[in-house]
This record gives sequence, C-alpha cells and structure tokens, in this order.
Amino acid sequence: MRISKTWSFILFLPFLICFVLFLVVPFAYGLYISFHQWSIFGGNGGFVGFDNYVSILTPGNVYSNAFYNGLKNTLIFVAISVIPLVVISLALALVIDSIPDKLKVFYRTIFFISYAVSVTAVSAIFKWLFTGNGGYVNNVMNTFGLGALNWLNDQPLAWIAILIATVWWTIGFNMILFINALDEVDRNLYEAASLDGANWWQRFSNITFPSIKGVFVFLTIITVIASFNLYGQTLLITAGGPSQSTTSLIMVIQQIVFNQNNLGMASAMSMLMGLVMVLIVAAQYLYTLRKD
Amino acid sequence: MMKKSMKKNAFVLIIATLLAIVFLLPLIFMLFTSFKALSEAMSSSALLPKEWTLENYGSIFGIAADVPVIRWLLNTGIVTIAGTVLVVFVDVLAAYALARLNLPGKKFFFTMVVAALTIPGIVTLFPMFYIFRELNLINTFAPLILIYSANTMGVFLVYSFLKGFPKDLEEAAVIDGASLWQILRFVIFPAIRPVVATLAVLTFLTIYNDFLWPSVVTSADEMKTVTVGVANLVQGANFVNPGRMMAATVVATLPALIIFVAANRYFVRSVISSGIK
Repeated sequence: MRISKTWSFILFLPFLICFVLFLVVPFAYGLYISFHQWSIFGGNGGFVGFDNYVSILTPGNVYSNAFYNGLKNTLIFVAISVIPLVVISLALALVIDSIPDKLKVFYRTIFFISYAVSVTAVSAIFKWLFTGNGGYVNNVMNTFGLGALNWLNDQPLAWIAILIATVWWTIGFNMILFINALDEVDRNLYEAASLDGANWWQRFSNITFPSIKGVFVFLTIITVIASFNLYGQTLLITAGGPSQSTTSLIMVIQQIVFNQNNLGMASAMSMLMGLVMVLIVAAQYLYTLRKD
Repeated sequence: MMKKSMKKNAFVLIIATLLAIVFLLPLIFMLFTSFKALSEAMSSSALLPKEWTLENYGSIFGIAADVPVIRWLLNTGIVTIAGTVLVVFVDVLAAYALARLNLPGKKFFFTMVVAALTIPGIVTLFPMFYIFRELNLINTFAPLILIYSANTMGVFLVYSFLKGFPKDLEEAAVIDGASLWQILRFVIFPAIRPVVATLAVLTFLTIYNDFLWPSVVTSADEMKTVTVGVANLVQGANFVNPGRMMAATVVATLPALIIFVAANRYFVRSVISSGIK
C-alpha cells in the first residue's frame, strides 16, 4: 500500500508514547527502586544491591514473614478457586449452549451480568450476606433452626465466603468465552455421533472437549493470573482475617508501601510476585504443549 | 423424535431458569435490602421488605448526606469516558498501523505488545504511584485517566480482528486516490465497528470497576471514583447499616449495569474470542 512509513509511524506513535510512559518507564523504575532503600516521603536512601531481595527471601524477619504469609494465602486461593471458576463456567456454558437460540442471549446476559459489578459492590453485598451479626445467611439459618456460623472469622468458612463471592463475580467472563467456543464446534460431528449411538459423556469427551481445548487452556491460564491478583475481596470482606489467614500478597505489598513507607522493599516484592506469576504461567503453558 | 427434543428443551430451560434465579439472588438481595429500615435489615430472613422505606436513599441524596455518592459518580463518569475515548483512539490507530501499514520495526513492536501482556500489573503499579506523587498529581484526574492507555490487550484485540478482515476495500480506496484519513473514516472504521464497540465496553467497565489503582491515587473524598468511595462504606466503623450500604451500592452499580445490558449485543461471537486464537 502507498501510505508512507512516516504516516504509519505517526499512527503508531500515540500508543508508543503511552506504552513507554505507563509501562516501560514504571517497570524499569520499579526495578531500579527495588535495589535501593527508598521511601515515599524521603525518596532514594541509597543503593543497597540485593539487600531487599535477601531480606524477603531469608526466613525469620518481618518482611519475609509477611511475604511468605501473603504468598501462602494467595497460593491457597489459587488452588481452591481455579477449578471451580473454570469448571462451573464450562458447565453453565454447556447448559446455555443447549438452550434454543432465541432465548440464548437472554440467559447469557443474566450470567454475564456480574461482570459489570465492581469488586467493592460485590464485597458490600457478600459481606452483608455472610457477616456474623445481622448477616442475611445467618438470619436465614436461624429461621430454619440451624444456628448461626461465624462465616468471616473462622477458617475454612472465610475462604468459602471469599470463594463464593469470587465465583459469582467472575464466572460470567469465562462462560462467555466457552459459549463462543462451543458455538464453533462442528454440528455435523454431533449428528454423526448420535447416529453411532454415542451418549452424552462420549460426545463431550470425544467431540466437544477436544474442539474447545485451546480456549480451555487459555481460560485456565488467565484464571490463575486473576486469582493471583486477589485483593479487593479479601481486603473488603474479611480485611485479611481471621488472624491474617486471608491477607493476600498484594495486600502485603500495599501495607509495606503505605504503613511502613518502604517502597524499595515493596518494589522488590512486586518483582518477586511478578516472577512467580510468570513462572507458573510458563510452566502451565509448557505442560500443555508437552502433552499435545 | 420431535416430542423428545421438545421435552429436552423444556428440561434445559427449567434448569437454566433455576440457575438464573440463584445467580441473581445477590443482586435481588442488594435491591430489596436497600428499601429496608435498619432493624428489619439486621434481623430479617425474608428477601422482600415488610415495610418499604426510602430513608436509605434519602440519607445518601439528602441535604444531610455525608456520603458524596453523586460527586463520586460524576468523577467516575469523567474518568471512564475520557479513559475509554483515549484507549480506543490510541489502540485502533496502533492496531491499524501494525496490521496493515508499512510500519518500520513492525516485528519488534508486535513482539513488544505481546511480551507486555505477560507483565503483571502489580509490578508497575507502585512505581507509577510514586511518579505521579512526585509530579504532585495525586488527587487529580490525570493518574485516574492516563494509565489505562498502555492497554496492549486492546491493540491485540483490534489487530486480530483486522487480520481476519479482507483488504480489498482498502486497496480499491487507495487506487481511487483516497487519503489516509478517508480510508480510516470511510473504510476501516465502519468495518471494525463491532470490535471497537467491544473494546469500548470492556475498557469502560474496566475503568469503572477498577479499585486498587484509583484507591492508591486518591485520598481526598471529593476525588474518589464511585468504586473507591463505596469501598470506604464497607470498611471499619462504616459497616453498620446494611440498608444504607446497599442503597449506595445500588446507586454505584446501576449505571454500569445499564450500560452493560444496553451494550451486551456487541459482545458478539468471535469478537472477544478472536483475540485468543
């Protein structure tokens, strides 16, 4: 095409500027800060090499305790949330996929609607559902003579409440991508299979699942990333409790920035968290590649 | 045969309807609780209020209101509209240059966009906060709007859509002597409208519902977005009145829900998923 290189570059330039200013620069700056003693109010307090990283990784001090606790809690949440978030959304997508076309859009919209709700609204709703005193779930349980539970102050109840809130909040997006993938499965295969007398499970495992496997892998990976970024739900619903057992890694980093005024340490922690995430995603990706 | 499939349809519809009702319960709870007075909301096990009251909404919108929900909504409106326009403008032009034009260093830039998708947000968030703080821009609209513009996902989304779209019309337009602006305005933009709509709605909701970043860069009550403002009501000593909090949540959530439902048809098949393949 005869549009000049100069003009092509001019079109690309606004994005490039934003990309450099709000991604490359903060990334490089964060890396730089992580090798310094650095506070928000005092700025640069001098180069310390790998000291921040060493403090975080050497067990026994305040920072490593906070980091390992946050990492442990975040990994627990990843472990308990990824399977329900992927499996329930796939099940919903399968139900919606078998609804007659005219009604599909209606049901799809309903289950996708929580995507438009913010984490603070989700937390406000679920905190009033699950809170011990005056919470709706306990009111209902009392009415049925079941007795109240201390949802937000006992484990594993607190994780269950966080998990239910998260499932409700985020399955819609996964479901939509599954529905789109199911739409593209070749219908002739199903007909051939039913002529051969295949049952539901045989059709699912031999036709449906292999056809949507790419989307399944993709969604598993982005769900792991999303669960790793656990923050709003635990900050607002349980405030990290009971006894710091739902304090996520991002909450820890945020406390180190604002309560301890230690940006150098927080930046080092962010880098380590980013590294852990990249490693987990890369491992997942390589694992699926090898299996194929 | 016919009968059997009708039976199956009815069964699926019943299941789907039951699931939908369960799924909507939290929103129904939110709506009905907002019309309950304090004592009823704290003790009731019924969803519907026995006595309907508007006092919760009155305490939010009234003269004595100590919760500036309207101001928060206004901030959210400014931030989401400006941010969405910025992202769409920047991303569409960049995706077009990458997918179609003779951009120097195209391969490098494309790799850069894809590689950036793997950088977790937390890595850049606090350094960015520090930069905005050093520039004295905390509690202004600048950090609330600008940072979303480094949206590589959007570039990737539009890029994938353009790649699957035939070049013939553009080439004909070039032969007819159309200018770059005319091609963008009359050929490209109409053709990619569905993906632009999807990008706009996704960006709008992302900014509207973002929590960590706006809570970090706003400390003054009057600069908060509605998502951050409502969070204050959930925490600590403010967590006392379910009806009042649900009323604030209804007001905070309704605009996003309306926009979502209105724009829902743009989440067309293959648009979101085209980014995956």
